[in-house]
Amino acid sequence: MLSYIIRRLLLLPIILFGVTFLLFCVFSLLSPTARLATYITDASTLRNPEMVQRLITKHHLNDPFPLGYIHWIKKILKGDMGWSQAANQPVWEAIKQRFPATLELVLYSIIPVILVGIWLGVISAVHHNDMLDQTIRVTAIIGWSLPTFIFGLFVLFIFYGILGWLPPGRLSFWSQDIVYTGTNFRSYTHLVTIDALLNGNIPIFLDALRHLIAPIITLSYISWAFLLRITRSSMLDTLRKDYVRTARSKGVDEHTVIHLHAQKNAMIPVVTIAGMQIIGMLGGVVITETVFTYPGVGYWAASAAQQLDYSSVIGFAVLFATFMIVGNLIVDVSYALIDPRVRLE
Amino acid sequence: MNRTIRKLFSNTSSLVGIVLLFIFIIIAVFAPVIAPPLSDDPYQIPRMSWDIPPQPPGFLMSDNIRDIYVVMGTEIKWDKAICGTAEGGYDIFYGLIWGTRTAFRIGLITVAFAALIGVFIGSISAYFGGWIDEILMRITDIFLSFPFLVAAMVLTTILGRGLDKVMIALITFGWMGYARLIRGSILLAKEEIYVMAAKALGVKDVKIIWKHLLPNTIFPVMVQATMNIGSMVITAAALSFLGVGAPVGYADWGQMVSFARNWIIGSPGHAGQYWYTVFYPGIFIVLFVLAWNLVGDTLRDILDPRLRGEL
Amino acid sequence: MINDRKLLLAVKDLKTYFFTEDGVVKAVDGVDFEVYQGETLGIVGESGCGKSVTAFSILRLLDYPGKTVGGEVIFKGENLLKKTEDEMRGIRGKEIAIIFQEPMTALNPVLTIGFQIAEALMMHFEISKKEALKKSVELLKKVGIPIPEQRVNEYPHQLSGGMRQRAMIAMAMSCDPILLIADEPTTALDVTIQAQILDLMMALLREFDGSLIMITHDLGVIAEIADRIAIMYAGKVVEYADKKTIFHHPLHPYTLGLLTSIPRLDVEMKRLNVIPGIVPNPLHFPSGCKFNPRCQFATDRCKKEEPSLIKIEEGHLVRCWNVDKVVKEVKKGFLVGV
Repeated sequence: MLSYIIRRLLLLPIILFGVTFLLFCVFSLLSPTARLATYITDASTLRNPEMVQRLITKHHLNDPFPLGYIHWIKKILKGDMGWSQAANQPVWEAIKQRFPATLELVLYSIIPVILVGIWLGVISAVHHNDMLDQTIRVTAIIGWSLPTFIFGLFVLFIFYGILGWLPPGRLSFWSQDIVYTGTNFRSYTHLVTIDALLNGNIPIFLDALRHLIAPIITLSYISWAFLLRITRSSMLDTLRKDYVRTARSKGVDEHTVIHLHAQKNAMIPVVTIAGMQIIGMLGGVVITETVFTYPGVGYWAASAAQQLDYSSVIGFAVLFATFMIVGNLIVDVSYALIDPRVRLE
Repeated sequence: MNRTIRKLFSNTSSLVGIVLLFIFIIIAVFAPVIAPPLSDDPYQIPRMSWDIPPQPPGFLMSDNIRDIYVVMGTEIKWDKAICGTAEGGYDIFYGLIWGTRTAFRIGLITVAFAALIGVFIGSISAYFGGWIDEILMRITDIFLSFPFLVAAMVLTTILGRGLDKVMIALITFGWMGYARLIRGSILLAKEEIYVMAAKALGVKDVKIIWKHLLPNTIFPVMVQATMNIGSMVITAAALSFLGVGAPVGYADWGQMVSFARNWIIGSPGHAGQYWYTVFYPGIFIVLFVLAWNLVGDTLRDILDPRLRGEL
Repeated sequence: MINDRKLLLAVKDLKTYFFTEDGVVKAVDGVDFEVYQGETLGIVGESGCGKSVTAFSILRLLDYPGKTVGGEVIFKGENLLKKTEDEMRGIRGKEIAIIFQEPMTALNPVLTIGFQIAEALMMHFEISKKEALKKSVELLKKVGIPIPEQRVNEYPHQLSGGMRQRAMIAMAMSCDPILLIADEPTTALDVTIQAQILDLMMALLREFDGSLIMITHDLGVIAEIADRIAIMYAGKVVEYADKKTIFHHPLHPYTLGLLTSIPRLDVEMKRLNVIPGIVPNPLHFPSGCKFNPRCQFATDRCKKEEPSLIKIEEGHLVRCWNVDKVVKEVKKGFLVGV
């Protein structure tokens, strides 16, 4: 297994290089002037052709490919991803400010994915019957036929439009006052729910939670619907295996047979897929945050795309691609750790 | 083959899927009859009014628009928005009907090209092995490192707005699944006893590929393709919803939903009065994708026992 | 009671059916045999005749859609089929243990060998995990696995085929069961290892006068270790007797066929004897006696009426209408030297 991990770690920089290079190629489809615009805060500079030329050379935007890439990467590593028109601040700042909101959303969304997707999946497999089979299967298929944005709009419509329970956004105005401008509130983690608890402020905690529920439901639906189905079939498959019968033949009680002998095996592929689903939710935040005007990086990226704010979109892509690569690595390594057949090669 | 078709029709869910697909095909084919275009570009949704707020179902074409048609000399074949209008007066019903054609176009074209590219790359990778395999698989990994929507977003932002750019983006980041799939199938098949048996009997390589390898590797790809049509259409709709896909007024379901977000809440006192702006295009998207997924899911079930070597 | 041996297990007219989508599969449809303490019963038959299902039925380990629908399984005087699931759990692994055919799939790949062996002990006795694991090491040593202290923490895939089967034996014997059922334990192993495994099982059982039910299709193995033999065909026992009787005075045509199809080195044979035809499809059994299409002695009655199991003499049961014809055939001397 060690050689496997080493191999994956060695591949990591290669993949990162490939990803950033690909993005650079896409970026280079734009003219040097257009690219220059992403680094400039003051649009009036562009009206001076001489200035434009000088700046193009300074930023190495006209250099042959490999050099251009190197300079671009150097800038990124220094934190300079250009200027975000959509946020009116440097891209890196825009990301730093908005990322905690997205992180909070994704972290909470993992809960239903695991609870319903895995836990319920195991239970439904144990109580196996055809009616349940069909119901779960249909739920899962509807789940992945229902685009996130339609589902989100539907949730928004019912729970806010009609019922008024779950408003869009991250915080109500009064809590925003306290959290962002008030002197009594210390933001330790920038995850509002945690900070509210750390500050002992229950009303804000509840307010934040209220705003999170609808986006969490929307973001996680497709993931847990899919996972539910996979867990169920993995568990059903495993329960039919010979070693389950062996366990029973030893007089092992049914609970241990299911939750130790069967589940431990059934979970191996499920954990991998769960990991990938969670990483996949990264893509889903764009839509979810847009539907609920939730001020995270996804919302920012969507509005940036609309405004043709290239630097923001590319910066966003670099960020999320990195997450995906690291996430995949973690998932792959944990698979190797969980399965003794792989771990002890 | 016959068994497959029989099974497809006997299973309730796939039957529902097939019926739905059939209905959509009818709609797409007879679009010019069901919703006659009122201009030269049939994919441009006609406007029933200049008003910004959506109009309820049953709304009649406003006079100032009517006058324009009269001036241009175009025959006004119909003038009632049976499903209401979206923001900007665009007739929803028309969008639904011609959007069906758009959906089929997007789904079939993107999947076809993505599958072709994927199968090509995957086959080469599996056939040559060694260095070529390593490099091609690393490239596949690189492309796979982007969340699909994010990658499509980047490409459409850079390339510009428009459904064709959306399709390019979808194809560019949609081929990897097929490459891996066919590569896996071929590698497995190469080891299969029956291939070795055929070789031992002296059967020519080409014949082996044609009669043995191809049938066993193409079917999973076809199943995958069927299931992907749905997700391609969803992603295209999502991009249009975000405003980076089809231009405003284009007959595309996703585009029709894009402004609905602002109106979903309704006006004070009339919660949900603009429900139709989301409901109609939404239900079409869901049913269309559902149809493909139901069929694909059943196909996959048919494939499964064969994979496991039973019957 | 025969030969002053205690009767341990008596199976009477056992019937286990599988209720599938395609129809009812009568996997076991009339199985009768007796196992005495300290003795070995061999259950012989071709693949698919219901041997394994019989074993599973005894321990009530059937998977859906299988169900035991009739008969009795009298173990130590009590009918196992009437016991509650809790009671059965107390018997499984403790009094009756089973060894499966394919050790690679029968062992759990994600649990250590030591744990899997210790598990039965922990289930049935008041013993700590530590003690149980210590016992596992002893058991591994007993079954002949070298460096058991190391092996106990290893996983099934790290052992060779023969060692895995030994580990299975250790697992099954951990609680000193009075009855061991071995379902084709050596089929998946090399011939050289087969003998070792058989010797091991016999040695372990002898320690406390345990009994063995050996399920196999290999007559050679049966000849070595069985005291009594039950021949099965198409879900039924067609002949049951002690070893000597079966090999020298068989009464069922199928038994005769099995015996004569063993290739011989001492007699010149132009062709190998085979039993013509193939095992019937359980969904489409022939009418009358299930063996009649392949039987050289079949009469009209055989095609219409199914014979029941008849006691020819004490300890010898046969299911056939034409026993006398078989006797004549045997007298012709086909079994010389068997």
